[in-house]
Amino acid sequence: MKYLHERILKVMSLVFEVPIEMLNEESSSDTIGSWDSLKHLNLILALEEEFDIVIPDEEVGNLMNYKLIQIVIEELNN
Amino acid sequence: MKYIEILAANKDFSKIINSKKYSIGILSNITINSLKDILEYQCFKNGINPSVEIGNYDNIVQDSFIYNNKDLVIIFFDSLSLFENVDHFFESINSDLYDSLFSKCINELNLIFKNLEKTPSVIINSFSSLCFVSSSTKTSKIEKFTYELNTYLQESAPRNFQIVNIDKIFSIFGIEKSVDYRFYHSSKAPYTIDFLKKYVEEIEYVLLKNNGKLKKAIIFDCDNTLWSGILGEDGIDKIDMSISSKTGKYYNMIQRIIVYLSQKGVIIGLCSKNNENDVLEVFKLHKDTYLKEENIVIHKINWSDKASNLLSISQELNIGLDSIIFVDDSSFEINLIREKLPEITTIQVPANLYLYPTILLKTIYKYFNLDVTNDDLKKTSMYKEQFQRAIEKDKFNNIDEYLASLEIEIIIEKNNINQVERLAQLTQKTNQFNLTTKRYTEVQIHNFILNKQFHVFSLSVRDKFGDNGITGLCIINEFEDYTDSILSIDTFLLSCRIIGRNIEYEFLNVILNSFQNKNVKEVRSLYSPSNKNEQVKDFYEKSNFNLISSEIEKKYFLEFDSINRNKISYIRVNFNN
Repeated sequence: MKYLHERILKVMSLVFEVPIEMLNEESSSDTIGSWDSLKHLNLILALEEEFDIVIPDEEVGNLMNYKLIQIVIEELNN
Repeated sequence: MKYIEILAANKDFSKIINSKKYSIGILSNITINSLKDILEYQCFKNGINPSVEIGNYDNIVQDSFIYNNKDLVIIFFDSLSLFENVDHFFESINSDLYDSLFSKCINELNLIFKNLEKTPSVIINSFSSLCFVSSSTKTSKIEKFTYELNTYLQESAPRNFQIVNIDKIFSIFGIEKSVDYRFYHSSKAPYTIDFLKKYVEEIEYVLLKNNGKLKKAIIFDCDNTLWSGILGEDGIDKIDMSISSKTGKYYNMIQRIIVYLSQKGVIIGLCSKNNENDVLEVFKLHKDTYLKEENIVIHKINWSDKASNLLSISQELNIGLDSIIFVDDSSFEINLIREKLPEITTIQVPANLYLYPTILLKTIYKYFNLDVTNDDLKKTSMYKEQFQRAIEKDKFNNIDEYLASLEIEIIIEKNNINQVERLAQLTQKTNQFNLTTKRYTEVQIHNFILNKQFHVFSLSVRDKFGDNGITGLCIINEFEDYTDSILSIDTFLLSCRIIGRNIEYEFLNVILNSFQNKNVKEVRSLYSPSNKNEQVKDFYEKSNFNLISSEIEKKYFLEFDSINRNKISYIRVNFNN
């Protein structure tokens, strides 16, 4: 679980160009200034590649914070 | 490489690459943000310091006016977006609408051409219909439309425009792997990360060309690189480059490619461990050689290490190491160059020979400018002159560090009856590193092993790249001389693929030292010259032996007490006496 947590934060850190220490489970598009719609798309692409998953169309728009991302990845991995 | 790995690498690169910025503008009518990161990575990797800016969404014409001061502009004028903006099912539109849409596109293209005519370099993709549902047995209106647009693009684009045939990338890569309609419909971002990586690879040639980073020379090894077989062992009649032989035909194709390159002004060179005259003779006399001496600008055919030879090639031609491609079949040589001269691009001849022409061609298309000008044609003779004027520079020496990194291990076994077959074969086949060139049958080797007076030592070599198997042999004749004994080296040979790592000296040292407790007075040895073994004529001198006589054969002796007891530090010895 901890491993998944770190991997997600690493992806977010690289995509949003924010130091990983600044991110945590409460991070969302409200707390990360660079999280705009274009970066959001890059985030989805990076998550799909990193976790080898396909995020369903209807979920893509919802994943606007760390917790939702984690839930979706856990569901897709099961 | 994954997208986040690219992001991480870019972060690191941006700290170390400080060269002048190379500015790139991306104009597009689709969302293509991640292209920026992938493009940056490709630039960094080639030592280019990029500054990439993406224009406004679907604003190509306006942006072409703003971005015309960039070093490079890349345009994604994408048909997906183009046809979607038409408020109709395209196949059902009437000819008036078709014509007015066509002329709108032409007008936009003309504006783009005009706005960017002073920009040093522009990349524009051809229009594609492959993203749309189609049938191989029907021609759709979209296909007709894109075909006509492409024709206009080909005919009217200014000379600074490089057209990328995007259909070629789609067909190599597959449309389903290239386009993700999910993101096209939600975000107007049709292309997958994998496609964008492929796309950037395809335009790498333009990036290299614009930044003066194309290659100038390609240097080939000879044995198993230009022909099948080993010239020094098999002889000129047995090496194979015949168009009608099973393996020879691949080498024949390679030679034809090389001649083509030479006609395009690429410098062709040779760097081979061989006797110079033997190799040059191949290009003069071999019935199947397509490559001729006149195609070869420079050659270093000798027994020095290839890093030194390639370095002197670069100095004599006065070109940078990063302008050179080196082709060799040996992983030892390829890894030597990768570690010692990492600026040189290397190609290793693949184990599956049928892939060899493909791999060579792919590299050539990426790294060489094959558009011919008259000046290029003169280059071959120009470089040849320069080479003739050049003075031999000092050798690039001290490869000890490289050798240490190989983790070489030698295994020496004594009188191992299971090795008879291979050892006899070694005496029969080894020509170059063979001090006495005595040929023995299996029975003879077998008898040496059973005879107490003889000692048969085999040598196996391995390193971190692999196992070379049994590749050396030494036969010692030990005979009594009053109370002491004398060792006489009857045979000493090594297969040429392990030469150049000082293994021969360690092999001899370990053997001689193994007689330490046996009252040995002296060691006698012999070099008997053959047509092929000139490279070992000084071997015993280098091993501290004293020359006694040198008519035809050279005879040596060495007092046992003065044998070298220093180990070569980077060779691990595994000897079960």
